Amino acid sequence: MLPRTLCLIVLGTSLLWGCDKNADSEATTEVVFRHALEDSPISLDPAHAATVSAKFLAVNLYDTLYRYKYLARPYELVPNLATSLPQISTDGLEYTIQIQAGTYFQDDPVFINGSGREVTAADFIYSIKRQLDPQTRAQGAWLWVDNIAGLKAWSEAGADYRLPVSGLQAPSRYAIKITLNHANPYFTHSLAQGFAAIVPVEAISKWGREFSSRPVGSGPFQLASFNTSQAVLVRNKNYREDFFSLESEGGIQENHPRLASNNGQKLPLSDRIELLFIKDDVARWNALESDAVDSILAPATLLTQILTTDSEANTRFKLKPALTEKYELLAAREAGFVRINFNMDDANIGYSTDPERNQANLALRCAIRKSYNWKARNQIFSQGSGQVFAGIIPPIVYEFDPEFSPESIRHDPSGARELLRQHGWNADNLPMLTYGYSVSVTQNQMFEQFRGFLIEIGYPAEKIQARKFANFGDFLRALHENNLNTIPSGWEMDYPDASDTLQLYYGPNRTPGSNNANFNNPEYDRLFRKARYMPQSPERTTTLAQLNQIVTDACVTISGLARTRIFIWNKRANVIPDRAFTGGYFLRFATLNTAGNKPESP
Amino acid sequence: MTASLKSAKFSSRYKLPALGTLIFIGFIGILLTLAVYPLAEWQTISPDRFAGISLEHPLGTNALGQDIASRAEKASWHSLRIGFLVALCAGLLGVSLGLLSGWYAGRWPDTVILWLTGVMEAIPFYLFVAALAYALRQFNWSMELAMVITFWTTMARLIRAEVIRLKQRDFILSARAIGLSPGRTLTAHILPNTLPVLLVQLSMIFIAAIKAEVILSFLGLGNNSNISWGQMISESTHEVISGHYMNFVSASILLFMLIYSISLITDSLQTRSDPRQGIA
Repeated sequence: MLPRTLCLIVLGTSLLWGCDKNADSEATTEVVFRHALEDSPISLDPAHAATVSAKFLAVNLYDTLYRYKYLARPYELVPNLATSLPQISTDGLEYTIQIQAGTYFQDDPVFINGSGREVTAADFIYSIKRQLDPQTRAQGAWLWVDNIAGLKAWSEAGADYRLPVSGLQAPSRYAIKITLNHANPYFTHSLAQGFAAIVPVEAISKWGREFSSRPVGSGPFQLASFNTSQAVLVRNKNYREDFFSLESEGGIQENHPRLASNNGQKLPLSDRIELLFIKDDVARWNALESDAVDSILAPATLLTQILTTDSEANTRFKLKPALTEKYELLAAREAGFVRINFNMDDANIGYSTDPERNQANLALRCAIRKSYNWKARNQIFSQGSGQVFAGIIPPIVYEFDPEFSPESIRHDPSGARELLRQHGWNADNLPMLTYGYSVSVTQNQMFEQFRGFLIEIGYPAEKIQARKFANFGDFLRALHENNLNTIPSGWEMDYPDASDTLQLYYGPNRTPGSNNANFNNPEYDRLFRKARYMPQSPERTTTLAQLNQIVTDACVTISGLARTRIFIWNKRANVIPDRAFTGGYFLRFATLNTAGNKPESP
Repeated sequence: MTASLKSAKFSSRYKLPALGTLIFIGFIGILLTLAVYPLAEWQTISPDRFAGISLEHPLGTNALGQDIASRAEKASWHSLRIGFLVALCAGLLGVSLGLLSGWYAGRWPDTVILWLTGVMEAIPFYLFVAALAYALRQFNWSMELAMVITFWTTMARLIRAEVIRLKQRDFILSARAIGLSPGRTLTAHILPNTLPVLLVQLSMIFIAAIKAEVILSFLGLGNNSNISWGQMISESTHEVISGHYMNFVSASILLFMLIYSISLITDSLQTRSDPRQGIA
């Protein structure tokens, strides 16, 4: 009896050992890359890819016609689903784009037999039309509504998908012909946005609103799970034959020896991506330190703990010696900026039908702007690493004018007090300010700092109210419902041109569009329409400077600060996690170093 | 009962409340001292970031150059106000419903109140307070209201049990026999006899309210226009990592002093009101 029992025990143990060995073996062969984002997306529908995290996921779950090169700086467009850059007619109005044959959507029950069908030109046309369908309540319509011929009329006529749009045609299964209303040298950039991701009609028909959490795309990854704390993506086995080439991505062998080792490998390089949504700065840093994630955007509030203090005038950033063994760093000027907008729809602070009150409100806004100390903001919340600039054209774009009058960023509390006094403002008649933000320690402190600046000029503390929102989605909803009059805002640019930030104050883009200040100035709108499609030229630069001046003179915003984004990653990861313009495109190139995860020497 | 056991019971009965009272007096003393000390306003920011302890800033300053002592004092009064207000309102609600439920035990008012109590208690406590506070966030007293709505249930259950017990006693039967109205009987004869239970429960609501406020503020769901210990502690999560401890230390010590002192006093009250704990 005993030998038999022993045999069973040995056999059982062997089987368990065998199973365990197999599991281990699978675990070691699967490449899992983990990245932390600062917020969770409220929707995975590309029509709502308006936030950093939503765009990040959209460009990985879906295909876009174009994307930005992984490593080329300044940023360069490269074909993604398209076979080449568009052929543009001599008048700049017609774009002809070929898409790659043999690209399939991921397998999903929405398709016949559950097998993903081929992506065609018609899918692109459907996806763009969908952006203009009022039922979609999409946020990316502004990119195309005035650009593509017939699209606005199609939308206004009821958005019937059976009806054609004159500017969107599919001459063949794999050819797209786009006709523009006017030549636009920046149009191709719009086809690299998360909003331009290609979706299958079957999925929208089947899932309806549920599509926002059940993505069906043809991108390098497909969704395995998603909740408010993390999203897990796995390799889309239907993804087309796409191979990594350091040279094609704008990289140089000498600068990127580790990335070069991936040359010729099929994309995506990782089997599984785990995206953790970690809002709190300290928690995000702890996640990196405890190896729960491989890369993060370094928390600005912790930069003094992360970086050396001997950086030359903050232009070069180095990790503290204790961290250099384990981590690598990339510092990049933000492709965008932060500012505080005033809601011009609020008659207490914005436009009023009474001309006298209008003038008083203008003085009030200007006084608040004078009270704001950007230097202190930069020092406390970015450890001085950002660049304070006047106006709304940030330093990263060509049209940035370093000579633009710095008056609007001068901290001048006595001037602010005088301005308030001149226009009859006092503690009794100053209006209530409602300052909204999605709750976090940093945002809370930013509010306290804003309140502190205003107290300095005699604004009663009880008239500066914080409106806290549990997440960024709730904050956006409040913006759309026009419930705030003081709006701290950040803008990550969609494409590297000043028109992308100037459109933030273009009248037709008012809430729920990107103009959350609801600024409405006919002269501004006229000049913007004139300048946005002009090629770079001295005339365009002059017009953009005029636009910058109009917004500055109207004191519609307290602007601005272009932060330096510090990306840090564990050396076991083989990646450059820069996401300016490129969004989350880098995920397909992210992998872990081979040879037992030991990093090569840099 | 042996002499040593008697001595231990005597000690716990008199020393604990004395210690609790002492700590509470110390806590109030600190607040009064800070109230008369010429400190900057708690909202005022200054370029003097992370300043050390000095006469001007007895507890230093935080990342925005705000005076920590001033913020700690304001947060303490804020907590006391919430504690008292919630204890009072939730106590009133709980006592009223408990008296009603106990008096009409087995009849429809009792059934309705018990059902309501059961429903409220079935919902996870902090989750419910957080959800209510968030849903009513535009209302300045949202957090206090959320706590009152959730904290009355235990009080109501205890008072109900006391009323059911007391209303069978001879003195209540006599009161009813001479034609005293139910309201008069409840307020003049039953309520005074529930005082020990009521006091203990009130102090427990007081503690729970303060703890809930600290947790909600820590999570960022606190009052918009006030400073709180929870907010100070959440700020300190960024500061401790860089070696700035005063925000954390001052908020934590004051929180500890208040909660610990009230807990000791409550324990003592509980012991005194429990006949089984009496000294033989």
